[in-house]
Amino acid sequence: MAQELQSINLVAPAFKGVNTEDSPLAQDPSFAEIADNAVIDKRGRIAARKGHTVITTNKTVLGTDSLRAIKEFRDDAGNTKVFSVGNNKIISGTATLVDETPAGYSINADNWKLVDFNGRIYMFQRGFEPLVYDNTSGAVEAMSDHTHATGVTSAIYGNEVLAAYGRLWTADFTANKSTIYWSDLLNGIHWTGGSSGNIDISKVWPDGYDEIVALAAHNNALIIFGKHSIIVYDGATSPASMTLADTVAGIGCVNRDTVQYTGTDLLFLSHTGLKSFGRTIQEKSMPISSLSGNITKDIIAALQNETQFFRSVYSPEEGFYLLTFTGQDMTYCFDVRGTLENGSYRVTRWPSTTFASFTRLDDGTLYVGTSNGISTYTGYSDNNVGYRFKYYSPSLTFGDSARIKILKKLKPTLVGANSSVVFMKWAYDFDTTYATAEFTVGTQITGFYGESEYTTVEFTGGQLTNQRSLNTTGYGTSVQVGLESEIDGSPLSLQEINVMALIGKLL
Amino acid sequence: MSNGISEFFSDIYGGLSQIGSAVSPAIPAVAGSLLTKEAYDRLSDIGTQSLTGVTVDGQRVPGAMEVAERGQRESQFRPFTVTTPTGSMFSARMGGQPSMGQPMPQPVGQPSMMLPPGFAQLSGDISATDSLKDAMSAGTRPRLPSAYDGIGEELRDMLGLAPGEPLPAGRFEATSYMPPGLPQPTTGGLEVGMTLSPQEQALQQQLLGGAGGFFGQAVQPTQAREQAIFERMRAAQRPEEERQRLALEERLAGQGRLGVSSAAYGGATPEMLAMATAQEEARNRSMLGAMQQAQAEQMQQAGLGQQFLGAGYVPQAQLLAAAQPGIQQQQLAQQAQQFGTGLFGETMMSGLEARLLAEQARANLLGGVGSNILAGMFTPQTNRVTGVTTPAAGIDLGGLFGGIGDGLGNIWNTINPFD
Repeated sequence: MAQELQSINLVAPAFKGVNTEDSPLAQDPSFAEIADNAVIDKRGRIAARKGHTVITTNKTVLGTDSLRAIKEFRDDAGNTKVFSVGNNKIISGTATLVDETPAGYSINADNWKLVDFNGRIYMFQRGFEPLVYDNTSGAVEAMSDHTHATGVTSAIYGNEVLAAYGRLWTADFTANKSTIYWSDLLNGIHWTGGSSGNIDISKVWPDGYDEIVALAAHNNALIIFGKHSIIVYDGATSPASMTLADTVAGIGCVNRDTVQYTGTDLLFLSHTGLKSFGRTIQEKSMPISSLSGNITKDIIAALQNETQFFRSVYSPEEGFYLLTFTGQDMTYCFDVRGTLENGSYRVTRWPSTTFASFTRLDDGTLYVGTSNGISTYTGYSDNNVGYRFKYYSPSLTFGDSARIKILKKLKPTLVGANSSVVFMKWAYDFDTTYATAEFTVGTQITGFYGESEYTTVEFTGGQLTNQRSLNTTGYGTSVQVGLESEIDGSPLSLQEINVMALIGKLL
Repeated sequence: MSNGISEFFSDIYGGLSQIGSAVSPAIPAVAGSLLTKEAYDRLSDIGTQSLTGVTVDGQRVPGAMEVAERGQRESQFRPFTVTTPTGSMFSARMGGQPSMGQPMPQPVGQPSMMLPPGFAQLSGDISATDSLKDAMSAGTRPRLPSAYDGIGEELRDMLGLAPGEPLPAGRFEATSYMPPGLPQPTTGGLEVGMTLSPQEQALQQQLLGGAGGFFGQAVQPTQAREQAIFERMRAAQRPEEERQRLALEERLAGQGRLGVSSAAYGGATPEMLAMATAQEEARNRSMLGAMQQAQAEQMQQAGLGQQFLGAGYVPQAQLLAAAQPGIQQQQLAQQAQQFGTGLFGETMMSGLEARLLAEQARANLLGGVGSNILAGMFTPQTNRVTGVTTPAAGIDLGGLFGGIGDGLGNIWNTINPFD
């Protein structure tokens, strides 16, 4: 007697992002085993990320190198200028990159950090004299060359710089890993006199010794990130009187460029994954505070394998926090709009993006630095080159791992994906050899009434969906379903996948 | 010797009588002349005796000079010593006079007062003048204080000469008269001695020594004392400062601010600057306090020195105060002595004057008799009854010279030194 087909509906697949920590069999189908070049869209669906559009037309000064940092300079007069670094140069401009490196200033590394503070932009890198630019001089110059600079010595050639509480703060020096210098009030070129000063926290580390990696300002506190500890000073608006408010041992920051403000919290990458400062302070580094708890092993592996830079950006417009391991050309996208039950962010993975730096402009535009210059995070191609969107579900047992499942049909529902070729894949029993069913999505261009050739009888709805039914083969106790599509100009969202299967005998 | 003289005059008188008898009737004239001469001689002797004295009926009657010398001796200052109940002594004597005693330790609570020897007699028994008589009879006169005492040294000072250097010719040096026979005083004039008891001397030495010590300290520069006081004040402050420093260090460590260095606070934290400021202020206050304390101590030392100095002279002042009754008694004695001396002198001089008057009367009587005799000899005698006039005796010159020759022969025999 023929059995009735059982329908297993994977609604909003990968809604919870990638999970490589839990056992595939026990996982919620809302997780994904793989979600590459994907984001969680505004409706909670897994969708293809945006691509980047290069706006640089002349990148001669950059050569074949990538932009390692980008920063927009703005002053009170409304002047704006985008600075970037790469190819051992200080660069300005977006369309045409201009070498702004001061004459006679030799640079052999591009690990600069740029901060905009009170009418000037400051550039700090360990072992290099800080550079400064303001609209008055109109040129980048070594800080000591500035007319009014004082106290600029190698002692302040820090790797980390923070503009907060009306002054510049710098730390992480070549031979001093526990001292923080702060400038005079509202003057980032005065490092002596006034209310400038410094603090040696070598006696404050909670576990005896650490090295300052990053600085951050949050809630009237100065947060000092060590490699494996955090120190919080309260009352940083008056540095000479600020007091130790809290210390956290066991959690530190991997790299200064992983620290991002989210408005209400502070994100940073520790050796055990992405952390939230707020939760870290509240929970004293309890494991639940890890925002990358679903990919902890992957993050740790990436940390250990990284040989170049860490870059990150927070985009409230996109609702994500991007973390890029430039040496591995791997970007993790953390959806910051909400956390899962375990406190983790939903995370997807963007491999091979060539993203080397980010910055968010004041208007919300996300600039991406690549070897092509400056790009904007927009469109659905990487500089007119497609990229592969991947989704793979965890292994599904349909509630009974002891019985054989015989897939009969897969019915994906896609949103967008105009004319895209979609590959539906499935495999049984953790096999990595997937069976594939290919189909091409039809035209999905939205026709609005009264626009172009569309008339009353021809216009479409605002968003087009595409549902297909694909016959499948094979059987096994667990089933993994995937979807891949080349994204090259059109967005794609995966609304749901209906899996039609026969439940067979017990093995 | 007086008997010899009497005999001599008797012989002479006998001779004259013989001459008178021989030259009778010129005897009355001769006798009158001799009586007149006798009166003259007696008046001369009385003048001499009023100065040098005479023995009358075996009793020596001093002359004016002796009376004056005796009065001067008896009115001389009498040395005396006042011993206080505490054993100190006040003594006054003229130079060369023997000391009246030595101070002896006196147990407290046994007050006594010792007056100089003879004081009781001087003050209550006039027979004490015997000692004055004895002293005067010795023919000595002590050196008397003189207004010219020391004038030589003053002149030397005025002339710019060294002490003891002879004055230039034509100048003089006053010296007091000092009759021989008495011990020469080591120094002239009145010697006033005040000697404290050993306990008082010890106390005085202690006090004066203390005064010297205090004054010595008072005149010392205050820097060293200031430093010493400052160090002591700082030594008292340092433990608390160290505790505060440690507390601040702990507080800063607890606040994680040990390593803070702010240019606005001199390279430190506000608390450290405040503490450093407070400590500096404390140091400054200590420094100023030390200066004030040193100066106050200097004033205190001076005051103590003054007090000790004053207290050091308290035994002396008390000695002087205690000596006042004795001095008053001595003054009474001196006044009594001077009164007695004056009385003695006046009495003696009145006797001398009475004797002088008597002798003058006697001489005048003799002189009157002689004058009358001589007047009768050269005046013719007329008997009012008979009316017979007798010629003056001076007319019979032969008989007169014969009788004179005999009388002179007898006188020669009397006074012949070769017999």
